[in-house]
Amino acid sequence: MALDPASRARFNLERATILLLDDTPVGMSILVQIVTGLGAKQLYRCSTVEQAREVAVTHQLDLAIVDSLSPSGGGYDFVKWMRQSAAEPNCYTPVLVTTAHTPARDVTRARDCGGHILIKKPIAPVVMLERIIWVSKEGRTFLYSDGYIGPDRRFRDEPPPGGVGRRRGDVAAEDEPAAAPEEEPAEMTLKDLKAS
Amino acid sequence: MSNVRFVFPKHRLAEVLRQPGGLPVSEALERAHANLELIKPSCRAELMELLEMAEACFAKLDQTYDDAGLVELYSLAVRGIGAGTVCGTPAVDEGLTSLCDLIDHLRTHQTYDRNAIGVNVRAWRLLTTPNLPAEGAASVLDGLRKVSKRYAEPSAAVAAQA
Repeated sequence: MALDPASRARFNLERATILLLDDTPVGMSILVQIVTGLGAKQLYRCSTVEQAREVAVTHQLDLAIVDSLSPSGGGYDFVKWMRQSAAEPNCYTPVLVTTAHTPARDVTRARDCGGHILIKKPIAPVVMLERIIWVSKEGRTFLYSDGYIGPDRRFRDEPPPGGVGRRRGDVAAEDEPAAAPEEEPAEMTLKDLKAS
Repeated sequence: MSNVRFVFPKHRLAEVLRQPGGLPVSEALERAHANLELIKPSCRAELMELLEMAEACFAKLDQTYDDAGLVELYSLAVRGIGAGTVCGTPAVDEGLTSLCDLIDHLRTHQTYDRNAIGVNVRAWRLLTTPNLPAEGAASVLDGLRKVSKRYAEPSAAVAAQA
């Protein structure tokens, strides 16, 4: 996912509508300074899950940057709500989940909430930009299952651990030739963006 | 075996990013860093305020297992992570992460070591010292990680307490 900080490739965040959720003044301040520096102008700043839900109901969002709101973990609940209950297209909106620290009891909650990627604080501007570009890439499928709604968490087309798949497609795949491996996030480049 | 339904949504973000205009990556990153420089004083003030609250919280922490106190201290420490790097004292973020790890281990295994918590809180103040030599900060952080790691496993937590 490496991005050359000296790159002259251009990107444009001016028209992106972005929801920011962080309940700490310092956390929100840092986030705002980073994304405005990257060129974003249409920000919805929310300090509570209730405010964030209101914004998600009333505005079309291109991106959401949601803090986990540790120790309550309310940010994970908000992302889950977005996936399960928000109307289209916001239920598919790319979500970056930020976290200062993930307590042991919240690891599965973080994995299962439906975010596209987790970013550990402190957040460097280059890391934020890399993640924004990565989630913008088209082709990430969403899946609906009994226990999970969100972007497909499988990044590699590898056999399931122990050879036993958990999806019907896994069984079918055993009889078919192996598909070409999907591009890994580490291979992300700016090739789709406009070079100056 | 679970039934899975796949959907291939189109979202606008990729399209928006490709709009004409915008910024080169290098310039955008420079702007973001310049913006962060502007909030350095307020970030430091908030970090020091959190530290004072954490010291007061530690002072009233019970000698025996004090879950409410641990939760309060965790809430204060977790709010500060990220501010240290902006203030030019990135070791603070690592120190606070170590404190959060320690409290999480203690709560997970229902064990307690008030002294270990005290070491972390005192280190927080030390690490906020501007221009702290990198070697000194690294040595403090190494010590904090060792303290925290002692309580990472249930068996180790019991042994460390003994």
